[in-house]
Amino acid sequence: MLNSCNIVIAGAAGQGVESALVLAGKSLLKAGFHIFISADYQSRVRGGHNFMRIRFGDQPLAAAVSTINYLLALNEESLTRHLPNLTNEGLAFVMADDGLNVADQRVVKIPAEAGPTTAKTDTFTGIKLLALLFTELSLSPEILKESVRQQFAKKLSPKLLQTNIDTISELARFFTDRPVQPLPFSSSPDPQRMLVNGNDAIALGMVAAGIGVYTAYPMTPSTSVMNVLADCGPQMGIAVEQVEDEIAALNAALGASYAGARAATGSSGAGICLMAEAIGLAGIGEIPIVIFDAQRSSPATGMATRTEQADLLFVAHVSHGDFPRLIIAPAGHSESFYLTAEAFNLADYWQIPVFILSDQAQASSERSVNEFDLEKVTIDRGAIAKEPQSAEMLRRYEVTETGISPRAFPQFSKWLISCDSHEHNEIGQVSDDIENRNRQHNKRMRKLANLAATLPGPEIIGAPADNLLICWGSTVGPVLEAAEKLRTQGHNFAVAIFQYLYPLNRERIEKALAPFKEIYTIEGNYSGQLGKLLQMETNVRISSHIGKTDGRLFTVEDVVQSLTELVGGGQ
Amino acid sequence: MSCNYESDFASQWCPGCGNFDTLECLKTALCNLQIEARDFVIAAGIGQAAKLGFSLRCNLLAGLHGRALPLALGLKMANHKLQVLAVSGDGCFYAEGGNHLLHNARRNLDITMLASDNRVFGLTKGQASPTAAADFITKIHPEGSGAQPLEPTLLALSAGATFVAKAFTGNPDELTAIIEAGINHQGFALIDILSPCVSFNKVNTFAWLKKRIEPIAESHDRNNRAAALQLAQFNPEEKIPTGIYYQTEKPVYGAHKKALSGEPIAGRTQNYKPERVKPLFARYR
Repeated sequence: MLNSCNIVIAGAAGQGVESALVLAGKSLLKAGFHIFISADYQSRVRGGHNFMRIRFGDQPLAAAVSTINYLLALNEESLTRHLPNLTNEGLAFVMADDGLNVADQRVVKIPAEAGPTTAKTDTFTGIKLLALLFTELSLSPEILKESVRQQFAKKLSPKLLQTNIDTISELARFFTDRPVQPLPFSSSPDPQRMLVNGNDAIALGMVAAGIGVYTAYPMTPSTSVMNVLADCGPQMGIAVEQVEDEIAALNAALGASYAGARAATGSSGAGICLMAEAIGLAGIGEIPIVIFDAQRSSPATGMATRTEQADLLFVAHVSHGDFPRLIIAPAGHSESFYLTAEAFNLADYWQIPVFILSDQAQASSERSVNEFDLEKVTIDRGAIAKEPQSAEMLRRYEVTETGISPRAFPQFSKWLISCDSHEHNEIGQVSDDIENRNRQHNKRMRKLANLAATLPGPEIIGAPADNLLICWGSTVGPVLEAAEKLRTQGHNFAVAIFQYLYPLNRERIEKALAPFKEIYTIEGNYSGQLGKLLQMETNVRISSHIGKTDGRLFTVEDVVQSLTELVGGGQ
Repeated sequence: MSCNYESDFASQWCPGCGNFDTLECLKTALCNLQIEARDFVIAAGIGQAAKLGFSLRCNLLAGLHGRALPLALGLKMANHKLQVLAVSGDGCFYAEGGNHLLHNARRNLDITMLASDNRVFGLTKGQASPTAAADFITKIHPEGSGAQPLEPTLLALSAGATFVAKAFTGNPDELTAIIEAGINHQGFALIDILSPCVSFNKVNTFAWLKKRIEPIAESHDRNNRAAALQLAQFNPEEKIPTGIYYQTEKPVYGAHKKALSGEPIAGRTQNYKPERVKPLFARYR
């Protein structure tokens, strides 16, 4: 079993939960632990109830757990809400005022006088609780101070920065009679290790792939990709534009791709709805494009800051007509980096729209990862037309056996290039000739079949077993950990991780899934969308589906409970 | 250089369509300005006017109805050195694409927008466009649309366009000169081209337009936005001023972006290596 410790920091929006979280994350990373942080926040700027789970241990972690070892409650509501999940040996830290009405020996109440006189306001509560926790765990307060300097030196006045440092020092020696509880596992510091959320990994993957243009309209939970690219854009040569709507976002990205840049757009499901028509333009125009979809609770506005995996069938079919597309759903943070970089190669090679399907749970959860290995990233722009003797129209849609027609970029080539949303002839002129239509349509659809044949099937973990659990995206981490836990209890489940969701490589999938008697899907949706897709495209039959539509991520305990019910039958 | 923009495309316009004149004037303007075919791209929408690009031997990105302007934005982001012409009609630019007009005018995107304005949807056979008069009768609007016509020059001026002009296909010399001025202009240039639709607009005919158009007086101060706004508030039943209403110099889209200076991104892309991401890793430690 994984050795880990789970801290929950909880409070109202605007109370400094975020700052405490950043400090905790940076400090535990410096201390050499593996980390998984998940945020549960509301779509509001002030008030309400937000909480962050910070799980850390001595091995890589890929999932959140519900059970709490240490609770840092920034207000009384946070204390009463989360106490039921605190282990018997766990501790809750709270300011004395906030814990007045709670009689529980696990609650450590911090008197108001703790800390410097200049640090009496609520905004210091987070750092006080954190300093006490570090002391309790026998972790050096110096690490916490270093993180404060790293994070806030530029944001806070020197005086305020010092008050924070002093607060840590004073709280670290406030309780002289409390026994320390050293962690039951050790750390392994690695200066190359990074703490990234899913969106960071995707943005970094785009940069590694050589992105030049990103156009988008802000939408939770996709926006932070645009933030990262906008921040580094001036230095890196990436033009980022916040456009007037998602329709403009995809059309502009397509214009940029036609002109020769690597281009992408991103949004959440509702924004992808607005892109529908232009997705078809990418299809018939054979314009390479990467479209990032950070799925959230649906339909329409849904729950803005909550997760779901219910866009798969939509994205697999969005826009009218038949045309090739590719859907990649990275399962995890490192995978988000590498597969995003690869998405641009596949878009360029096949000249198709490529979707990166993530979800809020992955987008906003942070995870410690090894530094991304750039040796594993290549840049392949696909087929480029040989230069002509003089300016002439490129046979942009030349009918080939592979379906791929070489490209060229205006002004960087003597070719003149016409790219068209109508059905068109080989040089990109509008045409409704019967034979031309059949040739062009067949050429495009050949790409889909050829692409499918190159794609890997699922990765199977834990075989042999009678039962198989199919999962994708943010659900993979908790399912893998839960399956391992059940194995120790004598219930064998293998796990199939799907990262290439459409088109499906029928042969490889059927072969990989053939050994299993019962196949279940676990997805963050109602209808079991990957299961449905598999049943449409292959002979795989799904026994039943474990779904989740409450907008919250699967914790390890959630999955264990569902699987226990599954094997328990009517008992 | 040779002025050869001839395409073998068989035009799909009706005889007498104003689009033929616009096509000829554009060719002459490109020729006069000595613009090589490889150095410009036409971003087209959908509609009869939008088919103009097929009749030229040139770079063409023929997109969706209403979306020529966002395509143009992307073209300029990837390659700010390209000459970009956005070509379509009044239905495409002002109805489905209205939002993009506002925002690209605000951006002062350095493109030339050729809006063929015949006050009617031709391709779908005669529905009222946003520039049609409120009492324009169609199959859908047997009682008229009841909606006030949009004046594109007034809209573009208020949204921040830095070059606003109106031309008439019946005045090819003026149209050619305006297209040349629009292409030479650094910034967002809207040219609303009054163009008769011989098949579906029996009201605003060539003769109707000819009678009302009136070149702007020499004394008009092009650099004066208030004067241009005044000029754009004409009564189309009486007279329609043609010429350049407004032209001013303002920073173009991208002037504030470091990524859009020097070598275009499309040209730099081949030098982008995965290692470019490495300096960003430090912030995640």
